[in-house]
Amino acid sequence: MAAATALAALTLAHGAAAGPVLDAVKARGALACGTGTGTAGYMLADSTGKWKGLSVDVCRAVAAAIFGDADKVKYQPLTSQQRFTALQSSEVDMLVGNATWTLTRDSALGLDFVGVYYYDGQSFLVPKKLGVKSAKELNGATICVAPGTTTELNLADYFRANKMTFKPVVIEKVDEIRAAFFAGRCDVYTTDASSLAATRAANVPPPRTFDDFLILPEIISKEPLGPVVRHGDNQFADIVRWSLYAMVEAEEYGITSANVDEMLKSENPTIKRILGVTPGMGKALGVDEKWVYNIVKQVGNYGESFERNVGLGSPLKIERGLNRLWTKGGLQYAPPIR
Amino acid sequence: MRKLTVTATAALAAMLVSGTALAGKDLDSIKSRGALVCGVPTGTAGFALADSQGKWVGLDVDVCRAVSAAIFGDAEKVKYVPLTAQQRFTALQSGEVDILSNNTTMTLQRDTALGLDFTAITYYDGQGFMVNKKLNVKSAKELNGATVCVAPGTTTELNLADYFRATKMSFKPVVIEKVEEIRAAFFSGRCDVYTTDASGLYATRAANVPPPAKPDDFIILPEIISKEPLAPAVRHGDNQFADIVRWAQYAMLEAEEYGINSKNVDEMLKSENPTIKRILGVTPGMGKALGVDEKWVYNIVKQVGNYGESFDKHVGAGSPLKIDRGLNKLWTQGGLQYAPPIR
Repeated sequence: MAAATALAALTLAHGAAAGPVLDAVKARGALACGTGTGTAGYMLADSTGKWKGLSVDVCRAVAAAIFGDADKVKYQPLTSQQRFTALQSSEVDMLVGNATWTLTRDSALGLDFVGVYYYDGQSFLVPKKLGVKSAKELNGATICVAPGTTTELNLADYFRANKMTFKPVVIEKVDEIRAAFFAGRCDVYTTDASSLAATRAANVPPPRTFDDFLILPEIISKEPLGPVVRHGDNQFADIVRWSLYAMVEAEEYGITSANVDEMLKSENPTIKRILGVTPGMGKALGVDEKWVYNIVKQVGNYGESFERNVGLGSPLKIERGLNRLWTKGGLQYAPPIR
Repeated sequence: MRKLTVTATAALAAMLVSGTALAGKDLDSIKSRGALVCGVPTGTAGFALADSQGKWVGLDVDVCRAVSAAIFGDAEKVKYVPLTAQQRFTALQSGEVDILSNNTTMTLQRDTALGLDFTAITYYDGQGFMVNKKLNVKSAKELNGATVCVAPGTTTELNLADYFRATKMSFKPVVIEKVEEIRAAFFSGRCDVYTTDASGLYATRAANVPPPAKPDDFIILPEIISKEPLAPAVRHGDNQFADIVRWAQYAMLEAEEYGINSKNVDEMLKSENPTIKRILGVTPGMGKALGVDEKWVYNIVKQVGNYGESFDKHVGAGSPLKIDRGLNKLWTQGGLQYAPPIR
């Protein structure tokens, strides 16, 4: 009781003044979400113009938390060179463009990464007929890579560290890199393994197929992909962070889009708190108490989103790997919702 | 390649200017004061404890020392303020301390409504139970009807109630604010069980058992009933300072991952590995991005050590606590400790 009073006093002292980003999102009636120009499984507009993917689901979750409606999102496709400027200049409220969380971006750019929706790492895609089984055999190879990204830096680091040389073919647009690779202008295409899996699943020009290409086993970098917000609105950053954690926490407690209505009747005090049956979490975050219910009902938990978009239920067929829950040997871990 | 790299660098430079590197008010006051003010627990062996000379040592203390090394090039420019669980958040909010590094669990409410931000997780902990061996209990499931010593107003008290409710057991709480008094109550038999984060239980067992009883007379039950990610906290409002704390922690992890330790760090300055050169500031850039000296990681590792060194020395195999690395192993070794790349 004394503790509850103390918490209330501390909370009051800080007030619940919405920051400038959250205010703008609410006034606009939609979240402006910056994505990449198109990566199957992560962010891609379908034939009806509807954006889908694991990355897109983070924006949908944030919209569900703020508006109770996962569809209140305006998507803005951005190239890797446009994305940070677009966020800094407030053209978008947040980015889910599969940007790697690095020191430079997290500090000097005035941005904050608020979590990791996919633990990725850079790898290499090659045609099987190249007869290469390991990245260590790529000395002298011609390599297609996007400019101005950590990918380009890692590539140079890796070859320098392994005392190998390579000839870069540097191309900005993803579709042009792919076209160059499939046309044979380069031996190797390097980017995050997630993207390579997406490219292999969706972009191989017939008559060649998925099976004609190989992703080499080496992962040459840590590429934690996270949603990004700009400095200056901690409350909005908190909503993005905890919307993502809510998806992970829902998976850990077995709450899915299919059973979430049933789970409202659970006697488990943690589940009651997560779903807002016991109120408090929504108020602390400045959103409706049904925020997690709305996220799970409309978007699904993290595991559902993963399987549907990039996992075994998708053409990409990516293993959960590092993205398993911490209880299953992976790195996905949400701090407690309490 | 060269031309495009230059373009990218120019674009980054332009963004740097617009993002600016203005020092925030917390960092400004730390610099003008010449010391970091660090809120620590009132005393938890291995995590934060003043030794016989009054020098604070421990895993939590090392976070403050690392931040001080990053800002001042000197890990000793820290003023420690011991705080109880009920004092800590107010002390941070009111500016009495710059940072809390005191075994605080990161939770939604603390991260949001209190106006605080947790930086990175120092220690993946979880709540456990310690009992006297003669109680003859091997599992928390056998604790129905037990008298349990617990601190008030903490997540620990809430978890305790949740766990007993979920397992349809009852308990009698003995609620005591001060850690020393809880321990005294437990060791004098006023309660059957002492519950807090497993880290705290290990610490108590190693350091506080009153003779003639011995550490071996007590066991920590296998059940871990909660996620207790312990992390330092800072106030909202100075993102640059928060970044320095976060990356000082990540630097200790990254150093361990790349095999850089307090003994070989001078040798490592000669490494040809481009990642190590960047981490240690031989290739400059990271210090500038963070607004600190380019030798920030060198200073942290030289004076404080990497994460594995700090863990082993204070709470792990090289300490009286002998806590297993467990979840706190590096991600490459099956644990959860993972630093985003320093680049």
